[in-house]
Amino acid sequence: MIRVNDIHKSYTKTSETIKGVSFEIGKGTIFGLLGPNGAGKTTLMQIIATLMKPTSGTIEIAGMSPEKDLLKIHSLIGFLTTEIKLDPVSTPDDLFDFFADLYDIPKNEIKQRKEKAFNRFGITPFAKRKISELSTGMKQKISIAISLLHEPPIIIFDEPTNGLDILTSRQVTDYLKELKSEGRCIVLSTHIFSVAEELCDEVAILVDGMIVAQGTVDELIKMSGEKNFEDAFFKIYVENHKEEK
Amino acid sequence: MKNGNRKIWFRGARTIAGSFFKKHGQMGAEAPGSTFLISIGFVAVLSFMALSWFWWWFPYHLFSDEVYDVVVVNAPQSFIDYNQYMQKYRNMKARDYGSRTNWFANWGHMSYFKYNYDGYGWTKFIYKENPALYDFVTYGKWMRENDAYLTVVFPEGFDEKVSARSKDHELPKPDILTYYRTNSLEYTSMKNDFIDQYLHEYQDYMREKNNWAFPDVVDSQIISEPLDFSDEEEGSNVLLDNLGRTFVPILLFIVVLYASMSAGTNVIAGQKELGTFTGILMTPVPRSAIIAGNHLGVTLKTLIPSFIFAVPFLAVPYYWNHGALGPIILHIIILTVFVSAATILISVINDTVVSAQTAFLPVFLIFISVCVTCIQNATEHEPFYLYLPVYGQFYGIGDALAGHPDMAGMAVSSLSTLLLAFVIVLISEKLLHNERYTVSIDPVTAKEIRMAKSGQHTVLDIADKITDTFVFTVRETLYPLMILGFFQMIAIVPVVIDYMGRAEYSRFIADLKSVATVTDVMKKTFEVLGIFMGNPVFLALMTVAYVLMITACIIRTKITFHKKDYKEAFSIAGLPLSNAKKIVKDYLSGFVFGLLMMSSVCLILKLTGQIEITGFGFSTDLLPVFLVNLLMWFPQGASEEVLFRGYMIPRLETRFKKVFAVFFSSLLFSVFHSLNAGYTPLASVNLLLIAVLFALIYLKTGNIWITCAMHTAWNLSQGNIFGLDVSGNVAHASLIRTSHAAGAKDIITGGAFGPEGGLAVTAVTLACMVIVIVLLVRSRNLTRNKDA
Repeated sequence: MIRVNDIHKSYTKTSETIKGVSFEIGKGTIFGLLGPNGAGKTTLMQIIATLMKPTSGTIEIAGMSPEKDLLKIHSLIGFLTTEIKLDPVSTPDDLFDFFADLYDIPKNEIKQRKEKAFNRFGITPFAKRKISELSTGMKQKISIAISLLHEPPIIIFDEPTNGLDILTSRQVTDYLKELKSEGRCIVLSTHIFSVAEELCDEVAILVDGMIVAQGTVDELIKMSGEKNFEDAFFKIYVENHKEEK
Repeated sequence: MKNGNRKIWFRGARTIAGSFFKKHGQMGAEAPGSTFLISIGFVAVLSFMALSWFWWWFPYHLFSDEVYDVVVVNAPQSFIDYNQYMQKYRNMKARDYGSRTNWFANWGHMSYFKYNYDGYGWTKFIYKENPALYDFVTYGKWMRENDAYLTVVFPEGFDEKVSARSKDHELPKPDILTYYRTNSLEYTSMKNDFIDQYLHEYQDYMREKNNWAFPDVVDSQIISEPLDFSDEEEGSNVLLDNLGRTFVPILLFIVVLYASMSAGTNVIAGQKELGTFTGILMTPVPRSAIIAGNHLGVTLKTLIPSFIFAVPFLAVPYYWNHGALGPIILHIIILTVFVSAATILISVINDTVVSAQTAFLPVFLIFISVCVTCIQNATEHEPFYLYLPVYGQFYGIGDALAGHPDMAGMAVSSLSTLLLAFVIVLISEKLLHNERYTVSIDPVTAKEIRMAKSGQHTVLDIADKITDTFVFTVRETLYPLMILGFFQMIAIVPVVIDYMGRAEYSRFIADLKSVATVTDVMKKTFEVLGIFMGNPVFLALMTVAYVLMITACIIRTKITFHKKDYKEAFSIAGLPLSNAKKIVKDYLSGFVFGLLMMSSVCLILKLTGQIEITGFGFSTDLLPVFLVNLLMWFPQGASEEVLFRGYMIPRLETRFKKVFAVFFSSLLFSVFHSLNAGYTPLASVNLLLIAVLFALIYLKTGNIWITCAMHTAWNLSQGNIFGLDVSGNVAHASLIRTSHAAGAKDIITGGAFGPEGGLAVTAVTLACMVIVIVLLVRSRNLTRNKDA
């Protein structure tokens, strides 16, 4: 579904944030991008989500290039970001309708989809409340419900459980599993090992803008010769990270 | 598939635009209050300043209609004689009529017309020759040219015809034709009064003078013809014309700008700040639809308040039967489309609501300044401007309100404005393809990235800084000017009302016929202010106003410096209250210093033979004026010191270097005083020097007690002891009466501005400055030595 081919991205002339990344993700897989802060995870996620253009290299999503079919790709992607980003004066109800219109969902389907999504996350009792009055967990759930209202086959999820309490976090991971079982392709970035271990079919470790190791969690543990994934990650990180001059 | 794209485009644009009008819509947020306050403040300052200067002028232009001339064609000698005879009578009447409350000169003119001749005491007769009795076109032209409401046409050889008819009754009556304007009921009643009284009494006069024995017989016949030239009408209603060409377009434009800003700057920038913009960008809605939707939303949201505001002016065309409804509406819509496009562009460029609004403020102020340049009267009208994009829209509102829009100009200007708006929209759309403007990163990161990219501050950062500084400076400059204007405006109201009831006002109004330029208006203003300076009520009110200004400054100091009690605020504003003995000592020494300075100026002037003393003392009836005037100088001096030094210098110092704070406040002081009568370039320089001198003393002593006293002593002795003009203002009662000597040179004496416009003051000020600078340097060295 997603093919990333030797992507470079630089904000400045002298340094590169992403230094040549390539990978491929198929249907029904969860692909995890693991890395410390500043490794370029968010940038890479934004490039995959077509929000940014790579300085060089190509990406292909469902066989299409963002250069040509940006809007078609948009209708196939659901993108969620680290921070909870909803208009505080809106209500979940209004926001859902607003985005449903922007995603060009047929009018008669909107209500049905909203009911389904809101019931799934227990948003219904809060549907008419202002976003600003709601809890962080509730906001994240609303954010998921809205970002995925067009039922995209590809989901790009930056730090899905960041800052959530354990209950909500659990709900989110369960939902991701459910989405995977529906055959969707999911890319997520995280720095939480348990999430990666539990969810990801394939993990790529990003250090200083480069993928230094890639494979299933088990493969990576085996490769590094450590006992668990956390230790494996640190070993790989230390081996590859160069201190700045 | 093409069809599907179009469907998404329209649905997206419609949804975004619609969201502006939902209670919980994405674009529902309003602009924060600070921007609103600054905009309101700017308008308020302009109005206060204008009103505080032109109060006297305002009611005249609002309520008098200026059209009271009569064109007389082929006037017979007898009519000219009669007019001359009546002129003496009218002049006398006008003077005797001082008690009449003729505030609104022409309302009085109309209602009193029937009962006294005073009413047309201002009527001027314009004599023309034209053999044709029915030449409407020429009469219409003359009436327009002379702002006349009536044309009286005598047949040629009227006197001969009348005298022939007095001998032979069988001859036909000679006809006097009158043509009058129909645009206003006022004109109709004025022409009725004129015909019923003036022309009939003219006939009585003729009969009496020639001893005609048949009083019952009318010797001529008056045929009254309306002359309707509404289509080519120009300047028919001065009230509408003046308002239409000045205040209305400005107010309208401010409403458009503000509404657009409050609806528009926060949409995209606000969503970027919240992070919600990414969500919209991730939908399959094209960028062009996003921009179009936002633009449509902002435009519609701006149009609502604009039209609410415009309703009274839209009603005008119906009520007064002139003015062009369609063009006014078109102008409002096109201006709104343009301003909304600009707003969206600013919103796209900026990352946060505050930065968008900060960037919008200079644009706002520049736009308003441009509006001010559009203030025009019918004679200054420049048709070329009507063809310009944007400017022509604004310029055209006046014409449209006055009822004669220039259709060609409007078409060209409208199309080019729309084109410009479209280009701006296209630019906004292009920018949305650039990740710099789409990916929501917090502004600090954005700035870091930009800096890293070029290794230095980019144009955007410099622009940010400039706007920021600009806003601060404007705010800090506006505040003192606003309170000055506000209290001066309030204080002047009762005096103006009192003045309008006096006979001088009638004469003054009569003189105003000749006022044509802004300079004339300024001159007239100073004439009135000169009269007011001799009015104890005015002086007393101004005394109160100055005290209130000081209070307002202290209150604001307390707020802006977050001080808990007023004692601290006073000491920040340069008026420390802790040591009463020191205050008295400082004040007295300052007063003596000020007296000495002014005395030495006068001494120089006397020794160089520039002035001569013409007498001492004043008549006892001027004593109240003298006393109140003396009293006024105390808060007057203090208020200017607080405004321009105690308040302003610490405020400016929070952001700028001391040198700039001193220089800027002094420059403002100089500019403000330079508005006065008899201004010379040297006066500006002198006032700048004096301001710097005072600022240096303030810096040296840390308080303004000394300079308050100096300022007071300076003005007081200048005006009420030495009898000289104070910054262009005349003092009415002084202990010594002086006048410029025969060979006096304005460059030394300062002419009408008073000594402050002359070289004598320059010399004294420079000398004092040297002393203060030496003292400053010395005290600095002393503290340095101590430290060492």
